[in-house]
Amino acid sequence: MQKISQNFFDLFGIPESFTVDLELIGEKYRDLQTKVHPDRFADAGEQKKLAAVQYSSYLNDAFGTLVSPIKRAAYMLVLHDLDIEHFNQSELSMDLLLEQMRLREALDGLSKEESQLAELSELKAEVAKKFQQSQLSFASYVDKGELPAAKQTFHEMQFLNKLLTEIETKEEQRLGY
Amino acid sequence: MALLQISEPGCKPAMPAHKLAVGIDLGTTNSLVAASCDGRVEILPDQTGEYLMPSVVQYRKGLIPLVGEKAKAAVITDPENTVVSVKRLLGKTATEIRNSDRVGRYQLDSSKDERAPALLTAAGSRDPVQVSADILLALVSRAEEFLKGKLDGAVITVPAYFNDAQRQQTRNAARLAGLNVLRLINEPTAAAVAYGLDSKDQGNVVVFDLGGGTFDVSLLSLKKGVFQVLATGGDTALGGDDFDNVLGEWLNAQALAGKKLDLVEQSKLLHYANQVKHQLSNLESVELNYAGWTGRLSNAKFATLSQDLTSRTIKTCRRVLRDASKSVAEIDNIVMVGGATRMPLIRTAVEEYFGKVPLTHIDPDKAVAVGAGIQAEILIGNKSADNFLLLDVNPLSLGIETMGELVEKIIPRNTTIPVARAQEFTTFKDGQTAMSLHVLQGERELVSDCRSLAHFELRGIPPMVAGAAKVRVTFQVDADGLLSVMAEESSTGKTAEIQVKPSYGLDADSIEQMLKLSHEHAREDMEQRTLREAQLEANQLIDAIDAATRADGGLLSEEEANSIASIIAELRQAMECKSSELIHELIENLNRVSSAFAARRMDMQIGKALRGESIDTVDKSVK
Repeated sequence: MQKISQNFFDLFGIPESFTVDLELIGEKYRDLQTKVHPDRFADAGEQKKLAAVQYSSYLNDAFGTLVSPIKRAAYMLVLHDLDIEHFNQSELSMDLLLEQMRLREALDGLSKEESQLAELSELKAEVAKKFQQSQLSFASYVDKGELPAAKQTFHEMQFLNKLLTEIETKEEQRLGY
Repeated sequence: MALLQISEPGCKPAMPAHKLAVGIDLGTTNSLVAASCDGRVEILPDQTGEYLMPSVVQYRKGLIPLVGEKAKAAVITDPENTVVSVKRLLGKTATEIRNSDRVGRYQLDSSKDERAPALLTAAGSRDPVQVSADILLALVSRAEEFLKGKLDGAVITVPAYFNDAQRQQTRNAARLAGLNVLRLINEPTAAAVAYGLDSKDQGNVVVFDLGGGTFDVSLLSLKKGVFQVLATGGDTALGGDDFDNVLGEWLNAQALAGKKLDLVEQSKLLHYANQVKHQLSNLESVELNYAGWTGRLSNAKFATLSQDLTSRTIKTCRRVLRDASKSVAEIDNIVMVGGATRMPLIRTAVEEYFGKVPLTHIDPDKAVAVGAGIQAEILIGNKSADNFLLLDVNPLSLGIETMGELVEKIIPRNTTIPVARAQEFTTFKDGQTAMSLHVLQGERELVSDCRSLAHFELRGIPPMVAGAAKVRVTFQVDADGLLSVMAEESSTGKTAEIQVKPSYGLDADSIEQMLKLSHEHAREDMEQRTLREAQLEANQLIDAIDAATRADGGLLSEEEANSIASIIAELRQAMECKSSELIHELIENLNRVSSAFAARRMDMQIGKALRGESIDTVDKSVK
C-alpha cells in the first residue's frame, strides 16, 4: 500500500497557520476531490482505482482535520513533534484546573428535567465562548512559536470540546432525539 | 430541471460506439432500469409499456422462475412459492427474518445456517441473494432487449441506511446476475442527481425517500456541481408496506373481528389494504367493502392510524438536521422520492416540519433510477463529468470490540467516503502470536446492540514481550460504502491484507460456487464469458500501460521496463491460447510489477493539479 504523507496545509496550498479560511478550504477540497475521487477512475485498471481510493481518503482526512479546530490544533502540534497524548498535571495551571472543576460540577448539577434546557443552553453558550477564546490564544501562541504554552492551551481546548459534546448529548436526551 | 422524458419504445442509444450502461433501482416492491436514449436518461419500459417491474419472483418446480408482472398474480394464488419484498431479507439472520415476519410469509429452510438463511420454494431453497439476482436478471434482459446489446456496466442503488452486510449482499446479487457493477450509490443521492444535475443551484437539499420497505433521509449541500452529503439517516425496516399492514390490521378488526388469518386470507387482505391506500392518495375518503362488511375510511382517519409511522419519519429528519448542524430555516429544498411519499399524510407532515412545500415534480417512483442512470453514463465514460461529483457518507459508525464487550468507534457515522482510519493494537501477553478482532457497525455502546460484520484473526505476529508488538490495522471504506481491513506489524514491517469474512450471508467462495452452478449461464457460456472478460481486461491493461509508458516512460527504471515488456509479451501469448486462468495470473503479475510506476504517476498528477495545471490533459494520457 502506497503511503501518502503530504502536509495537509501544503495539500490545500494554504499557509501553515491555525487561522484558516474555511470557505477557501471547502473550495479547494471540492476542486481536488473532483480530480482524485474514485468516480473519476471507475473505468480504469484496478491499481489506479486503488490509488484513487487512497488519495481520496487522504484528502477527506485532511479536510476533516483542517476544518475542525480541535483536530487542526492537534495536527499542528504533531507537526512540531509534540506528544499530544500525554501531559503532566503540572503543565496545567491551578486556575485552569479550578475552572474545569467548576464547569464540570455545573453540568453534573443539572437535573434530568426538561425544564433545565434553558440552563443547559446557558452553560453551552458559556463553554462555547471559552472554547472560542482558547482557540484565539492557541493561534497566537503558535504564531509566536511558544509551543509549550500552545500545548497547554490545546489541553484546555480538549477539555472544553469534550464538555461541549457532553452538553450536546444531554440536550439531545432531553429533546428526545 | 425536468430530466424525465417518456420515450417511445425501441429508441436507440445515442451513439453506437458508446458503451451500454444502466442505472438500476432494486426496490422493495418495484424495480426499475434506466439508460441513456438519444442522449437523455430514461426509464426503460417492458414490451407492454410498463415502467415498474414488481420485485416479485415465483419459483416453480422444474421450471424457470417467473419475475415481475408475470409473478404478481401468484402473490395471492401461490404465496408459499412467491417471494415478495426480498430486499427486507438482505443481510438478516434467520431469527431476524422470523421476528419481523408478522404474517408468516417466509418459510425458511431449517437446514441452513442461522447467518445464511434461505427460503423454501417449489424450486428448492433460495437465499435472498439468489432471489435478488433473479430480479436483476429480468431487468438486465429488459435493458439488453431494449438497447439491443450486451450491458457494459451498471450502477445499482441501495438505501443510504443499508449496512455493510446489506451492501455486500446487493453487490453479490449483481455478481451472480453477471453484472459489472460500476458503483453502488445511495438512493437519496441518486434522486438528488435526477432533480439537480442540470441546475446550477447552490444550497442545502433534503431528500425524503420513503419506499416500499425502506426509509432514508439525506441532507446534501450542492455547490458548483459537487453533491456533498452532509448527513444521512433512516430505517431499513420502514416503508409503504408498514402502512398497508396498519390499514390491514384496522380492516381486520372492523370487518373480521380481528380473526386470525391464514396466509392466503392475509395476502388478500393486504392486497385490498394496498388498493385503499392508493385510492386515498387521490381521494379525501374511500368507500370500503370487504368480506361483506361496508364502511368508509378518510385520509384523516388513516393519518391517525399511522401516526406512529409518520412521526418516526419526522424524528429521523430532526436527527439528520442535527447531525449536519443545520436548522430547518437553512434548508432550501425538500425532494420527495419513493412511491409512499404519494400519501397525502406524509406530504402534510413533511411540509409542516420544514415549513416549505416539498418538490414532487419528478415521478417519485422513477427519480432514483434516473439518477443512477445519469451516474452510470458518467462512470462508464459516455458523458463528460466536468465538475460533477457525488460525495457520500457512511451511514453507520464502524468500530471494534474492546475489553468488556464495548465498542470503540473507529469511523463515526456521516464521515465522507472513501475513508481510511488506522488504529494500533498491541499484544497483552508475552509471546502472543495471534490477535482476534471483531468488527461491528452501529451507534450503540455494547457489542450486543451493534451489528457484527466480521471476526478475524491476525496470525504470525513475531513473539515478543507483552506490549512490544505493534499491529496497525487500517479500516478502509470505499466509494461503494464497503469495508475492507488491512493489517501491518510495525516492528517487522510485515503486511497482511485481510479478506474480511462476512458474518452474514454467503462468503465470496460460495458466490463463486453459485456462479459456476448458476442455471442462468450454462457452463460453456460461463467459460466463454470468463475468457472474454479476461481478454478484455488484459487488453485494457496493456493499452493503459502502453499509453502511460509513452507519456511518462521516464519514471520507469530499465529493470521495470524490461519486466513489464516481458510480461506483456507472455500475456499476448496467453490471450491467443485462450486460457483465462493464465491470463488472470499474468494480469496480476503485470499489475504488481507496474504498481510502483502507477503510484509515481499518480503522485506527479496530484502535484500538477496542486500547481494549478489542468489534470484533464494529464488524465487523457493515462486512460
